Amino acid sequence: MQRVEDPRLLAGRGRFVDDVAFPGMLHAAFVRSPHAHARIVSVDASAALAVDGVLAVYTAKDVDWLAPLVSSGPMRDDVCVQSRTPLAASTARHVGDPVAVVVARSPYLAEDGRDLVDVEWDALPPVVDPLQALEPDSPLVDEELGTNNICHAEQSAGDVDAAFADADYVTSIRFHSGRSTAAPIEGRGVVAEYEDRGGGRYNIYSSTQMPHLLRMFIAPVLGVPAGRVTIKAPDVGGAFGLKCTVFPEDIVIPAVARLSGHPVKWIEDRWENLAAGVHSKDMVCTMEIAAKADGTMTAFRGRFVTDSGAYSSVPFSPLVDSQVAGVYLSSCYDVQNVAYSIDNPLTNKCQIGAVRGVGWVPGQLAREVAIDRLARTMGKDPVELRLQNMIGPEVYTTPFGQTYDGGSYAAALEQARDAVDYAEFRQRQLRAREDGRYLGVGFSPFVEPTGWASASAAAGGMPIPFFDTASVTVETDGSVTVTTGLHSDGQGHETTLAQVTADELGVAMDSVRIVYGDTDSSVFGMGTYASRSAVLGFGSIRESAGQVRDRLTRIAASLLEADPSDIDLVDGVARVKGVPDKSVPLQQIALFGYFGGTARPDDIQRDGLTATAGYDPGETYANGCAAAVVEVDVETGLVTIEQLAAVEDCGVVLNPTIVKGQVAGAIANGIGIALLEELAYEDNGEFISGNLINYLYPSTTEVPSLTLHSIETPSAVSAGGVKGVGEAGTIAAPAAIVNAITDALSPFGITIEKTPVTPEYLRQLLRAADHDRNKLVGA
Amino acid sequence: MKPAKFDYYRPYSVPEAIEVLSSHPDSKVLAGGQSLIPLMNMRLATPAALVDISRIEGLSGIDTNGGLRLGATTRQSDVLGNAVIQQRWPLITSAVVHVGHPATRARGTFGGSIAHADPAAELSAVMLVLDASFGVQGPAGSRSVSAEGFFLGHYTTELAEDELLVEIKIPDISGWYWGFGEIVRRHGDYALAGVAASLRADEAGLVTDARIALFAVAHRPVRSSAAEARLVGTRLGDPAAADEAGRVALDGVEVADDSFVSATYRREAAASVVKRVVREAATNSRSGTDGQ
Repeated sequence: MQRVEDPRLLAGRGRFVDDVAFPGMLHAAFVRSPHAHARIVSVDASAALAVDGVLAVYTAKDVDWLAPLVSSGPMRDDVCVQSRTPLAASTARHVGDPVAVVVARSPYLAEDGRDLVDVEWDALPPVVDPLQALEPDSPLVDEELGTNNICHAEQSAGDVDAAFADADYVTSIRFHSGRSTAAPIEGRGVVAEYEDRGGGRYNIYSSTQMPHLLRMFIAPVLGVPAGRVTIKAPDVGGAFGLKCTVFPEDIVIPAVARLSGHPVKWIEDRWENLAAGVHSKDMVCTMEIAAKADGTMTAFRGRFVTDSGAYSSVPFSPLVDSQVAGVYLSSCYDVQNVAYSIDNPLTNKCQIGAVRGVGWVPGQLAREVAIDRLARTMGKDPVELRLQNMIGPEVYTTPFGQTYDGGSYAAALEQARDAVDYAEFRQRQLRAREDGRYLGVGFSPFVEPTGWASASAAAGGMPIPFFDTASVTVETDGSVTVTTGLHSDGQGHETTLAQVTADELGVAMDSVRIVYGDTDSSVFGMGTYASRSAVLGFGSIRESAGQVRDRLTRIAASLLEADPSDIDLVDGVARVKGVPDKSVPLQQIALFGYFGGTARPDDIQRDGLTATAGYDPGETYANGCAAAVVEVDVETGLVTIEQLAAVEDCGVVLNPTIVKGQVAGAIANGIGIALLEELAYEDNGEFISGNLINYLYPSTTEVPSLTLHSIETPSAVSAGGVKGVGEAGTIAAPAAIVNAITDALSPFGITIEKTPVTPEYLRQLLRAADHDRNKLVGA
Repeated sequence: MKPAKFDYYRPYSVPEAIEVLSSHPDSKVLAGGQSLIPLMNMRLATPAALVDISRIEGLSGIDTNGGLRLGATTRQSDVLGNAVIQQRWPLITSAVVHVGHPATRARGTFGGSIAHADPAAELSAVMLVLDASFGVQGPAGSRSVSAEGFFLGHYTTELAEDELLVEIKIPDISGWYWGFGEIVRRHGDYALAGVAASLRADEAGLVTDARIALFAVAHRPVRSSAAEARLVGTRLGDPAAADEAGRVALDGVEVADDSFVSATYRREAAASVVKRVVREAATNSRSGTDGQ
């Protein structure tokens, strides 16, 4: 099944925010802080305004009629509420923080003006280290809050202290998961126009994953009811969670469209994307495991400190990293004594948001790296140790109360093990070492919470209610229109959701049109992120299409003088079971549905052939396993991924091509996290990764040919047994790669304590190892 | 990501180009634009004028009669795809593979890479070991500059503001062994350390000439006289000699470091890549037709 959107996108006929243009449209460029932390003494725009074609420069004062953008986080009492003005009013809190916006007749002139805005700064001491930020004497990032810590929380189940006291082995690691981001090909972008009638209304094009939520959050800041804001998200060139954030620019551009009286466009550049979008996964983790002599793991204890950046992001807050690292700590292991604590210190860096894999990635790294360490300490095989401690395939409730809907936890690990010829590999590894070559293998079985909705979010410690709907209409000619509040930014919803609808209604897929990405024409939904759309899309469409199908069946039954239970709807035709020549085409049924007068059942006279239904599934969890085989060049510290195998179990697969694409793309993302991607700040808070020369993500040459396997364990909970798949590889691959590198270098006894594992870092570790060995020899 | 305002000139002859360069002090030559335009987009470069030399007839072209002559605006992709260069100057071909990506090589010019003088540029080092000379024209006429004297530092060359690199001349290298390698995190990126090497040996298999040039380690590409000295007189392909050449390759060189890569790392990487390239050079069939 090919993706129906691909011909449009591959032929360059996609329509993105930057393709939107209005007569008289102006262009915006933001003046951003070059400092990590500085007071704004004054802003002098006179030189900028002297440029022919620069129409206006706006600062926080000019938009002081806006309400603040408030991050209340995931509706928990223990999370600080932080407010910010969309343009920094008195203090800039990270490099890239917007302080003014220049509006001009072209993007070139806007940047000319930007460079001429003279901001006088008074530098303040930056808060750069997240652990120091938690100290009582640390300077505050946001004085108003009175603390740097957005949230401290702890949770435990069972008797963790007793388990550690009774342990035969205790393994403890510290791991710093590096700072990375999404870096989609298309950055952020906003085009806004303001209509000064009826109290004013905003028409906004935005590169977002969540049109309705964006509207919900920005309308009150703009001071208008949601009904006077339209968000249109046309084709979106990649998002990966970056674009399920509400940004200051989302508010400032509509505001200056109103102030200037012109439509205004802002298209983010790469530096802005890297410096001032969202960052992710920067977490200092400590992980401890208690185990008995026979290898039974009895307790996990974790501490997760998210380097949260300067602002608590809207809507998910930095807890989207720390909280989920903690609360899913036991993953696929039968460990009943579990405890974690989280902290979310603000620092003078870019905010942390919900980028693909979120805090599951650092959590997975900490746990799986620690399990490998335990295996080495005990002299046990890492695969056997994991299998020994794994939960069974049936429905299972974790110590923290998440209820898994069945999965192939052990089977996925076994399949990954076989995919890399594990036993044979160990022989090959030994032979290679004799030639001075260092090969290693690493495993990373995972559980991915998917289909995020009310129940799963609550189980994840992020108790946000979710609401998602789909509306299905069989038109008068029998064609089908579906609208959804989900959004597609590469996932292929025009394909999968059409497939699902076509199956449910018994029509050809190309007669189904999927409408999304416009708050005026799509039904309300919470958007696409958190691997939720397959589950939510399928469930909401099955429910609404099912209602329409029921009506079609009853009409067909009356037209064919048969019992509704004897009607089959297949290939756009209703037939009486067992009587092949008694049939009526859907087109005729549809016409009758609209124009059949009182011959139609009452409910069809009232509702026609449209049904809208919501869906809020129970908890559903995908699982799987990644296995990496790497070679490490000990002279240069370069890592080559020889093989990357992934076993994915996302329940019933709707479209194998799309699932494979999701898994492969997520693995590429994971390779970047493990080896390449690093958003670096100097000790003074200066940001030094603001271009793609320094921020490296994997290209095709860094991603090996992947070995992909699939297991289908239908969800015991969700409609159709479907689970989500969007983040699996990103969660699993980094830990597999780090474990493989450590395995390769086991003769040197090195300990990897951070990602990305750069050649520079590996050489540091190897130099220290050589030094230690020489000391031993010397002694 | 939009450049500041600049004037644009498109001369159709070399004298015309030099005239424009001379009369516009803050002007830059635009060839393939693969380095200059990103710098301008990021406003790291804000020249008052661009002098686009890409339409000057005769300024591009490949001539393999005897030695190799490359017109300055010859596209990197044309060099890469040239079968005679691949056969007679395989060192050039194997280096161009590492210059950017197909899309950038399709626009990027051979002379542009050299005149830009990025210390991490592969081709500059290759020019050093191939003993290339550069044809330069300016208001005072033509002159020839050896590769050895051309690269002065970060983005700085022997070229005066109003001079134009017009051609690259590379002698026939029949009888030389060669090697090329770089340490790079992703294919096509700026190297962390890299080396181009050419060696010649006598009939007894002893190295008589060694040229070892490193790039991406200092403020300009550098010949390593220390490594060269260690190799001359040793048996071609002697692994111990290669190790030794690697070990001393950066002796006396001030090695660059930055926030991402330390000088210590560059030294280690350079030692490793020199060793490997020198070893590999012994197995690379000698260039030219005599060995076929």
